[in-house]
Amino acid sequence: MQEPDEFDRLYRDHVELIYRYAHRLCGETEAAKDLVQETFLNAYQGLKDFRGEAQISTWLYTIASRACTRMRRRRKGQPKHELSIEEFVPTSEGEFRLQIPMDGLSPEEALENKELRQALDQAIEKLPPKYRMALVLRDMEGLSAKEVGTIMGLNERAVKSRLHRARLFVRRELSARGITHHDDHTSGDPHS
Amino acid sequence: MTKKKTSAKKKRSRPLPYRHNHGRGHCVDLLRQLSAYIDDELPSDICREIRRHVGACPNCEVFIASLQHTVTLCRHRPAPQLTSTDRMNMRRAILDAAHAR
Repeated sequence: MQEPDEFDRLYRDHVELIYRYAHRLCGETEAAKDLVQETFLNAYQGLKDFRGEAQISTWLYTIASRACTRMRRRRKGQPKHELSIEEFVPTSEGEFRLQIPMDGLSPEEALENKELRQALDQAIEKLPPKYRMALVLRDMEGLSAKEVGTIMGLNERAVKSRLHRARLFVRRELSARGITHHDDHTSGDPHS
Repeated sequence: MTKKKTSAKKKRSRPLPYRHNHGRGHCVDLLRQLSAYIDDELPSDICREIRRHVGACPNCEVFIASLQHTVTLCRHRPAPQLTSTDRMNMRRAILDAAHAR
């Protein structure tokens, strides 16, 4: 068993990080909280064996990723298919561009549009899990391809391949949606 | 002469055709490398080749911009935060579960 202080420090310093990751992976609050608890429970039990070979955040991401995979296996209906590059080749002119209001806006301003946030979230949620994990870790959590590889147990080449397919998938989903322009910035909490 | 004029007229009245048939050749090769291009991971000679291709292919140019926008949106999507009550309750639940095992 760990010293409570040691665990409390770990929890205090990393719970927001892991919750953010969990929410991005799971797409909803209760499942994200379950994943956070599972992650820190495993961390509590494994902390004595942690030798500091990786950054502690990388270690926690790895525990969370494995816990997420285990939790998904218990659920049915998760899409597991492979994505091929060929399926992302546009076949009509309308598929090349994103029909979303971004001109002259910073990404933060663009994301004040609730419809856009929802479209982005839904696109990410529709990704098969292994592709979603690569996209969340690399593009949303901002880790390097090497770190993502360590967490997912993949070499960098495989990480980049999954990431590329995931980005193409999300791009295609967004291009298929026509998103209206909201001039006002009252479309809701950008965190929701 | 007359024939030539007619054909020139016809050409002007048609919509502009695609510069390439997407799904073939260079465009698909380019599609495979776009993330590496956006992430600045390709050697300079390949980047130059891509830029040359994009200069001649408006559809690829639009496609690259749309992929860049997608990545930018992902990078800036804000995430929800925990309330202090949630943080406290979860900590309690974790320690209870750890002690119960």
